[in-house]
Amino acid sequence: MNSVPVFAFTCPVKTNSGNKALEHLPVELAGLNACRPLIITSAKAVGRKAVRTLQNAFGDSGMTLGLFDGVTKTADLGLIEHLKNICLEKKYDAIIALGGYDIVDAAKVLNLAVSLDTADAHKLSPETPVRRHLSPLVVVPTAAASGLETSKFAHFSRRIYSSEYLAPNLVVIDPRLTRAADGKTIAATGLAALGRAAESHISADANPFRDAYSFAAIRFVKENLPAAVIKPADKKASLAILNAASMSGCAASDANSARLHKLGQVFYEMQHIPQGVIMGMCLPHVLGDYLQEGINDLASLLLPLVGEDEFSRTPAAKRADAALAVLGRFLADLYGALGKDLPRNLREAGVPGYIMEDILDVLDKDNEGPYLRTVVERIAE
Amino acid sequence: MSIVKDIPSAKKPLKRAYVGIFLWFTGRAIQAAAKVDKEVKKEFDNLPDDFTFSLGCLPNGPWMVIGKRNGAVKYLGGNPSQHKVHVRLAIKSVDAAFLILSFQESTALATARNRLITDGEVPYALAVIRILDIVEVYLLPKIIAGLAVKRYPKQWSAGRKLGGRIGIYARTILGI
Repeated sequence: MNSVPVFAFTCPVKTNSGNKALEHLPVELAGLNACRPLIITSAKAVGRKAVRTLQNAFGDSGMTLGLFDGVTKTADLGLIEHLKNICLEKKYDAIIALGGYDIVDAAKVLNLAVSLDTADAHKLSPETPVRRHLSPLVVVPTAAASGLETSKFAHFSRRIYSSEYLAPNLVVIDPRLTRAADGKTIAATGLAALGRAAESHISADANPFRDAYSFAAIRFVKENLPAAVIKPADKKASLAILNAASMSGCAASDANSARLHKLGQVFYEMQHIPQGVIMGMCLPHVLGDYLQEGINDLASLLLPLVGEDEFSRTPAAKRADAALAVLGRFLADLYGALGKDLPRNLREAGVPGYIMEDILDVLDKDNEGPYLRTVVERIAE
Repeated sequence: MSIVKDIPSAKKPLKRAYVGIFLWFTGRAIQAAAKVDKEVKKEFDNLPDDFTFSLGCLPNGPWMVIGKRNGAVKYLGGNPSQHKVHVRLAIKSVDAAFLILSFQESTALATARNRLITDGEVPYALAVIRILDIVEVYLLPKIIAGLAVKRYPKQWSAGRKLGGRIGIYARTILGI
């Protein structure tokens, strides 16, 4: 392995994963000097059973928990202001986000408002300086996760907050909560993890620490997503996918290239289509373009995708093409297994034509706008 | 009405009772094994004279405390705050304790899965684990003990197992 002369890598996230991992939460919180956590979730998104499972994990701990289970996709800074006042009044000293996507983003922004003791949360913005550690934040992801839960980013009210202090202190991945209701949900989670990990893995500024996260995430998705899609209640496979999502978030936190992420995010914000669905559609196009540009190391994708034996059998000059071919077959199998449940293009995803112009307008504001527009045009039909 | 509900944590009385009874019985069995089994006695002989250790679960127990006083090993009850404890083996939750003490996970596996916290000298903690393993072999049938310990001792004679079991059970029940 080539050593990189200069690089920086930060991942402040501790991960507890596996059977009864949730039951360690009281001790973990005590280790973070917290004894009165507030659970932020959406009962509609994660289900009452998941909320009860989390509550039961605190059995015998003697703690009193706060519970807000009404996070919606339209949550705004008004809600954050209201919750911040309640947090300060009731002296909650930690936040536990149960779920993925908007729930975790709302929890991150709430943590920012509470920890900085902001006079008015409405004034929070991506420019708000964050120069110190925030209150403890724990994320308990469920099957519908984007992978960004473990990252330093919070996408909230169409703004992107970014600080390494926004990343959670602890992620708890428990198989009782990772089982998906259907194949599409876990497929979207897996594809989002694969997209982010692949983009981090091949980026020109890769470093060995980030490679370790992205390598494991890609391999976990490749080996476990087909089983998880066929049997969404499979504890082992779904746990592996959520682990992959968690690792991809850590890798993506540190990476600069994020074309797939940008495309996934804009469709999620404007149409609430899970990021993985869009990233799955865009993956072959974006990786193919990376190969054409010749800046990124596509060949490095082959090892996590196929393992040591096939990697060493493939001539070095053919590894990039082989990696794309393996990914193509992997995606084709996935679409084959899910049929119409997993859309292959924007038309199948039900994106109306009149929204497309708005989406393209948003993409045009990005510094890679013209390029991203071409990808959207390619996945339209 | 506030949009945030306050929910007191529930109780787990059955698991707590099971773990409490198991620790109470095992504590008395360790006291008995120190008199019956030479290997356990040797392990305790190598420990300091006022050595005390506790095993239990966080955050609120139950616990068992074992101490060596004037060369004799004693079960000192279930309140570690009354003693100066040299080694504290703490299981992270009553659920994790239930997994271990109902033999769904061996001590070694539970340690590997980060369910145990050790406070104190590691060599002393390892001696305690060895003692617990020997006591479990005496207390439990082979099929269950095989799940609880890392390696079931194959070299033990039938006489040692049978004699030791009778001695330890009798002393544990009688508390001598």
